[in-house]
Order: sequence, then structure tokens, then C-alpha cells
Amino acid sequence: MQEFKSLKDIPEQDYFTGGSSACAGCGPSLGLKLALKVLGPDTIIINSAGCMTLLPLYPNTPLKASWIHNAIENAASTAAGARHGLDNMGNEDMNVVVYAGDGATYDIGFASLSAAAAKNERIIYICYNNQSYGNTGFQWSTATPYGSETKTTPRGKENPTGTNIVNKDMLKIMGAHRVYAATASLAYPVDFLNKLSRAKERDGFSYIELLGACTAGWNYDPRLTIKISKLAVRCGMWPLYEIEHGMLNLNKDFSELKPIDEFLKMQGRYRALPPDGVDRLQALINEHWAELKEYNKQRYV
Amino acid sequence: MKQTLVTGNEAAAWGARLVRAKYIPNFPITPQTECIETLARWSADGELPGTYFDRMESEHSVMSAAVGAAAVGSRVFTATSSQGLLLMHEVLYIAAGMRLPIVMATISRGLSAPVTLWSDHNDFLDQRDSGWLMFHAENNQEVLDMVLQAYRIAEDPRVLLPAMVNMDGYVLSFTDEPIIIPSPEQVEEFLPEYDPAHTIAKNRPVTVGPPVLDEYSIFRAQNHVASRNALTVIEEVQDDFEKIFGRRYHLVDEFMLEDAELVLVTQGSMSTTAKAAILEMRDEGIKVGLLRLRIIRPWPNEAVARALKDAKAIAVVDRNVAPGKGGIMFPEIIETLFNLNKRPIVSGFVVGLGGNPQTESKVKEITNKLMDDLAAGRPRMEWNDLEEI
Repeated sequence: MQEFKSLKDIPEQDYFTGGSSACAGCGPSLGLKLALKVLGPDTIIINSAGCMTLLPLYPNTPLKASWIHNAIENAASTAAGARHGLDNMGNEDMNVVVYAGDGATYDIGFASLSAAAAKNERIIYICYNNQSYGNTGFQWSTATPYGSETKTTPRGKENPTGTNIVNKDMLKIMGAHRVYAATASLAYPVDFLNKLSRAKERDGFSYIELLGACTAGWNYDPRLTIKISKLAVRCGMWPLYEIEHGMLNLNKDFSELKPIDEFLKMQGRYRALPPDGVDRLQALINEHWAELKEYNKQRYV
Repeated sequence: MKQTLVTGNEAAAWGARLVRAKYIPNFPITPQTECIETLARWSADGELPGTYFDRMESEHSVMSAAVGAAAVGSRVFTATSSQGLLLMHEVLYIAAGMRLPIVMATISRGLSAPVTLWSDHNDFLDQRDSGWLMFHAENNQEVLDMVLQAYRIAEDPRVLLPAMVNMDGYVLSFTDEPIIIPSPEQVEEFLPEYDPAHTIAKNRPVTVGPPVLDEYSIFRAQNHVASRNALTVIEEVQDDFEKIFGRRYHLVDEFMLEDAELVLVTQGSMSTTAKAAILEMRDEGIKVGLLRLRIIRPWPNEAVARALKDAKAIAVVDRNVAPGKGGIMFPEIIETLFNLNKRPIVSGFVVGLGGNPQTESKVKEITNKLMDDLAAGRPRMEWNDLEEI
């Protein structure tokens, strides 16, 4: 297994080059750029309809790897077919990697994802989680955190909280499929690449969920993508952990979490979240963090 | 030649086995289930070497996985029916747009609501504009033969389109008929291994299914041209098929049309019943014949027009309905005949929905009504199963 110890170990070779139509500061694009450094050109990226679908635009592509965009809800099934097709054609050493958004993963494509995971297909499934349906202009998905405003959960007199539903605990759900499941952050690329490297060597299904900071939807200055990604980890909004064989491993432990306020203030989506909403969000984060600390190095699912 | 008793479902499974399909994603649905169960049994017994039998969690995922495997060059087979076919609908367009030569047996069953398990053709014809090649078999021998031919046609570089082979649920899918199962050697001669030219492979990165801007229409036009090309390819394949297997197929199936004044246009298994009724009516001196539509897409315009050009009155017998309009194939026949010098009277009959049996007496009844229409010089559009609606 290829192991990365520091930023210096990250390969210089890029398979995601210039000419993409993504926003400046786009988190998910950066995630794919990093991922391809580990995965290399003999990779098929299976994409669900979403922001990333616009990376290739006929007749151009910024990618030096293969790409299949099928529809929105079927990336995992498409990947399973591609995997068996490749194995059958003697291309067992090619990687099949899903790169799908949270709407395509948590919601509409969940049946397809769950089946592929239960069958332990040899696929790396990366969910770039921008906590919304981003490509259509930022609407609510079951990955949207409590308190975030979206176009379909706008704040109003009747509902000052915006999103008043608590997002799914996807890592736990995927961990319960008895696969390798991990979170990752753009602010911790060494951790992300090591997780990918590990997933690449596994003879089965891996699920990696990358927080894909979204400058347009979260409404922040594009320069701050990495800073926001780092804050998300530091304040417990996006803890870095992994689940394998049901065992939990907390990758970045902190004696104390930063309060959520600074993270919220940097983003337009939390603007005007009433104080009781902030308190509730902070309580949800604390509860999750306490759970992770309690079960660290133990059986979690 | 030795004949074996098999159901339509088994005939389709034999097709998949003989073409050495490498990937079979599947999901059960009545009345198709026996087809995939047959393949599951063979797979478990080691009778399908090199084939991956993949149980999916929905028909949508079946077609999605089929796309994934075909995009990397695998020969793919699957089968479905009814609601399952509708669930696939979105991905059918994608498979055709990506020009992936997947072959699927469809086992026709009426659509919900209300629920029916029995056959009509609305599920199949709902896919009419998806870009797939669409073939409809009359009997179990044709089911098997069409699966073999479908791969040759679909994989031809002039075509590269997915293909559906339809059979009527229950009437064929669960009914044993004696058929000739060709030898693997014959099929290998007819259909060599698939040699994909454009698929993803190692050191050959390919982008499949990207967005386009102004070029969209070009791609749709190519899909259309490829489908029209298939008409030529189908005729070549039929010739080759006859040389190797000794059975002859044509773009349309013509039965006693030579001197026919009255012509019934049918599809699927009801054609067999209608042919029997026609033989009896011929004994009574009625000049009636039958045209069976077996290639639905691409539409064999010239073959249909040629077969119908001397008819005085035509009954289009649709086992389907477009509510608010009538039978789905009725306007297709009208349009095909529109530019003939001498236009016949064309009546439309909606029949056999939800498996309502098409008996010989019903066929005779339709023929009698058609005679009345000819005498009156006025066509009709009628729901033949019911006294009145």
C-alpha cells in the first residue's frame, strides 16, 4: 500500500488538468484532483448527475482518466457493471471509482449504493458532500445540516431555522454494511490520500465521504475553501473517522472542540440562524462528538 | 432435427447462453422470473463459464449496471417485464444514446393500475422512442432466434444500438413449445466474440455520456441514422441466419397476402391464432390475409407498404392502447400507407388488454366487421373486447 506521511509525499503528477468549468474555490473539484493523484489514469470515474457532471463538456475534458456519467441515482450500479465488465475483459487492475454528490448518495441513489455495498463490490465510492443539491442551485438533501438555509428550506416567519431536519448519519449506515467507511477533508489531504490508498488495495467496497465545501451554495469567499474545511473538522462539524469491521477509529482527536460560531459566521447559509437554532446545532455536534469519543477503537456498528 | 420443449422464458435464456453473454444483471418480475432463474441455475451449475450473473436491487439498477459493463466492452444480456421495463425507462434512452449493444428480452405484461399479471403490449411499446431496436417474436423458436440475431444486429459497427426482443407474457413465457436449440458451434460461427472498438480499456481513457451544447442534435441524428442502417443489417443477418440455421425470417411476416383483399395487421402471439382463423376463413372463400409486425424499430416502411399495397381494407389489431387516441400501431400503419396511389380503408381494433384472450372467433368477428367497413366505405376505431364503452 502506498503510504503518504506528509504533504511532500503527494505526487506532483496531475490527471485533472486545466479547463474545467467548475467554480473558483470548488471543493469537490479539488477533491477529485487529489483523488486522481492516488488512483492514476487507469481509473474509470463513475459520476452521478451533479456539479461534477459539467467537468467534461464535449468535445473537451480536463480529465486524463475515463469517465462515465449515467444518471443521478445509479452510479453504484453502473460502477458494479463496469467492475465486472473490466474483470471479464482482463482489466482487473483498473480502478472503478464513483464520484457522486450527497443528493445522489444519501437520497435518490441510496438503494443502488446500499446494494453495491452489501454485495461488497470492488468499488471505491467517494461522496463529495456539499450538503445540498448544489448543481441545481442549493436545495435541501438529507445531508443538509440542521440550521442551514437552502432554496427549498428558506428561513421565514413560519420556519426561522431553515433546515429543521437532522441529516442522516451516513457513515454509521455505511459502516453497518460491513464495508470500509471513512470521512475525509480537503484540509487534511494526507489523511484523505491514505484513506484512498487503503481503499484501492481493499478487495471490496469502500465508502469515503469528503466534505466538499461549496463556495456558491454555502456562500463564502472562494479563497476560504481550505480554511472552512479545516474549521469544520476543528469544530466537530466534520469529524475525521473511519469504520472497518464495525470498529471505529477517530483519525483526528481533539481535547476540545472549537465552538461552532466562527464556522457559522463565515457562511451565508447560516446567516440569521436564531440563537436557539445555533444552540441546537451545537448540541447535535457535541452529542455526535461524545459518541465518537466513547466508541473510539471499539465496536461502533 | 431434434426439438426440445421449452417455455419462452427458457428460450430467451438459451439465447443468452448460446451467445456467451458475459454479464447478466437481473431482477425478478412476473412473468419474466423463470428466464433469470434458468440462468441462475445454469450459472450455479457451471454451465455459463466466464459469465457473471449479477443480482441487482431494482430494474433501474439492472439497466444501469448493463450500461456500465457494456461501456467497458462486455456482451450483456438481461430480461424484464412490465413495471420493471418502465422503471428502466430513463436508462434505456441513455443506453441507446451511448450506443451500447445490450440485448434484453422483454416479456410483455399489462401495466398498473389496476394490477394485471397478463399480457398486453403497452409496456413494450412505451419504449418505442427510446432509440432501441425493437423486435417482437410470435413463438418460442422466434424468441431464441431473435436473441441470436439481435446481438449480430446490435453489435454491427453500422448500428451499435441496444435491442429488445419481446414476447407475450404467459402465452409464450410460460408455455412449452417444441423448438430447435442450435448447437454452440453453429452459434459461434454465426456470432463471434464481441470485439468492441470504442469502449474504455487500459491505456485508452474514454469519456462516456458527457454533456454537449449545440451538438446534441447531431448525436440524436446519429442514433436515428444508426437505427435506419439496421434495416440493411437485419436483412444481411437474416440471410446469414438462414445459411447456418436453415430458418428464414423477413422484415415483416406475410401470411396469405398474395390475393388478399382484407388484411389483419397483428403483433406477437395472437398472430398464430389469427393465422389459424384465416385458414378457416379461406376455406369459406374469404380473401383475407395477415401481416405480422416483427420489427417495430427501425420501422420497415417499405416492407410494410409493399405488403399492404394491394389490400382493399386493413384491420390494425392493437394489443395496447394510447388512451385518448386509440391503438399505438394504428397511426403508424396509416402513415406508412398515406403516400400510396390507392389508399385502402384502415380500421383500428384495440384488443386483448390484460391478457383478454384473442380467440379464433374474435379474429373472425374482426374480419366480418372489416368486410362491413369495406362495403360501407367507412373505417372504424373500436375497442373489440367490450360490447360498448
